[in-house]
Amino acid sequence: MDTHNHPAHLPRRKRSARLTLAMMGTSAFGLTACVESAPDEHVTEVSFDEPRSFQSVEECVAANVYTRSACEDAHAASLESVPRFDTLEACEAEHGEGACTAPTEEQAQATSGGGSWFMPAMMGYMMGSMLSNTNRGRSIERVYQEPVYRNRQNQGNWNTASTQATQRVNQRNEAMRSSVVQNRQATTRRGLGTRSASWGS
Amino acid sequence: MLRVDIPERKEWKALADELGFHFHTIDGAPYWKEDAYYQFTLEQVEQDIEAPTEALHEMCMELVDKVCHSNALMQRLAIPEFMWDTIHNSWKTGQPHLYGRMDFAYTGNGPAKLLELNYDTPTSLYEAGFFQWVWLEQAIEQGILPRQADQYNSIQERLINAMAHLGDRLERRTLYFSCVKGSDEERATVSYLQDIALQAGLNTPFIYTDDIGLQPGATHFVDLDNQPITAIFKLYPWEEMADDAFGQQLPLLDTHWFEPPWKAILSNKGILPLLWEHFEGHPNLLPAFFENANSPPLPAGWVRKPFFSREGSNIELITPSGQREAVDGPYTDSPWIRQAYHPMPRFGDNHALVGSWVVGDRACGMGIREDMGRITKDTSCFIPHAIV
Repeated sequence: MDTHNHPAHLPRRKRSARLTLAMMGTSAFGLTACVESAPDEHVTEVSFDEPRSFQSVEECVAANVYTRSACEDAHAASLESVPRFDTLEACEAEHGEGACTAPTEEQAQATSGGGSWFMPAMMGYMMGSMLSNTNRGRSIERVYQEPVYRNRQNQGNWNTASTQATQRVNQRNEAMRSSVVQNRQATTRRGLGTRSASWGS
Repeated sequence: MLRVDIPERKEWKALADELGFHFHTIDGAPYWKEDAYYQFTLEQVEQDIEAPTEALHEMCMELVDKVCHSNALMQRLAIPEFMWDTIHNSWKTGQPHLYGRMDFAYTGNGPAKLLELNYDTPTSLYEAGFFQWVWLEQAIEQGILPRQADQYNSIQERLINAMAHLGDRLERRTLYFSCVKGSDEERATVSYLQDIALQAGLNTPFIYTDDIGLQPGATHFVDLDNQPITAIFKLYPWEEMADDAFGQQLPLLDTHWFEPPWKAILSNKGILPLLWEHFEGHPNLLPAFFENANSPPLPAGWVRKPFFSREGSNIELITPSGQREAVDGPYTDSPWIRQAYHPMPRFGDNHALVGSWVVGDRACGMGIREDMGRITKDTSCFIPHAIV
């Protein structure tokens, strides 16, 4: 990891532009410059559209889904989160031969720092939008972009373990049958979380 | 980094109550305080907190990988053997995690020093991610702070993204939420996370940890209606899970837990000596060692911490000038580590601790706690910060 340049952060504003509570408070809390939030407005529904992958800002703009500035921001943000390497060799050592590239002119311009560096070839960047509807019929749209996680692993292919689990449960049932005669429908509770009252740290 | 006295917002307690922040005052003592704030420069935030947090996070991930591949290291961390495979599998299959908090001693000058990681059950999330943000917006609106004031805080936004990412991978986009009975503060923190998950389009049923059921023949833990729980968030630590009555069933059932089992490696203070072994001399790390039978009595300039300790419990320290401080607690049956003493900055009577948040794999915000003592406890106050 010594070979990574730490990505500088493009947006100089360090806080979220807008926050909402959907259920927790008695009112949704939204402070924006020009939208007056009604005191008893609740977010009632949130939907995500299918995130889409774009290779470039132009492709994103051409899709006619997002504004140009949203496309540019998301593109720059996704570039900033891609690991950077000083040399092609260092990048290939981690990501495999032929998997790395120097940034295109558009990419270099979009990132802070500029300079010469290498990165794993991007398969495009993901963008999606989140549409929240309130009980007063107002819609709030927000754009989000991936990635949330670094491309360390497949991040989420956890269900590969399921078939093994079925085997484990069968083995366990076998063991149970041979040990105790019991009501098979009985549910046991209070087997977790009963040791202490408070655990935050 | 400065501590600046300022007026409180008008009627902030009523607002807090309205917004679900019922624990702003705990047992009559203030927990949230806004008669002062901590002032940072953008450079301090970006160079001294944000960048080191991401670098340390990467080191931690590297160590998780190492520990997962080494029974010897699992043993050194006192992780029970029946959990080793579960932990390894959760890492190998890429089970995503949600969040973590690093605690730093940082004076405003020089590198922030990592005191500990809270990567399994970190709290003060609502205060940092939401209420602190609201404070800044209103402080600007009411002329208490200048219009250009900012805050290092995209915690909630990042959490919504992370939840959306998880939601896409969960059966029926459903994630149960749980905490133990009897703590308003923890219930509120979990409510906040449920709220965030809801905004990310998830279904978010709640069940108390104590009410989770085990049914003969079932492939998952079950809820109060005996329906399978396929995925659940717990504000309850792995080492206690493993020790509980259902502990031995954890590896056998297919319920997915958040944080994932591999977080057991990072919620253990034994990770601090391992970090020092692997990255000795790193400017953001303090020397740390496993205590063993041959360790001398605690010398001056050192801190002693049990592997498993929360909210400052069972921590003992002796300053370089020989002053001793200690907090009692229940965590006496696990091994101990020793960490070099590093002073926290002192402002008046208060010592300030910087909690730096990681969501997914990104550093994204900060919360400051302060305490008269050198050991930060559950009673330590939360003070907002701003970049000015």
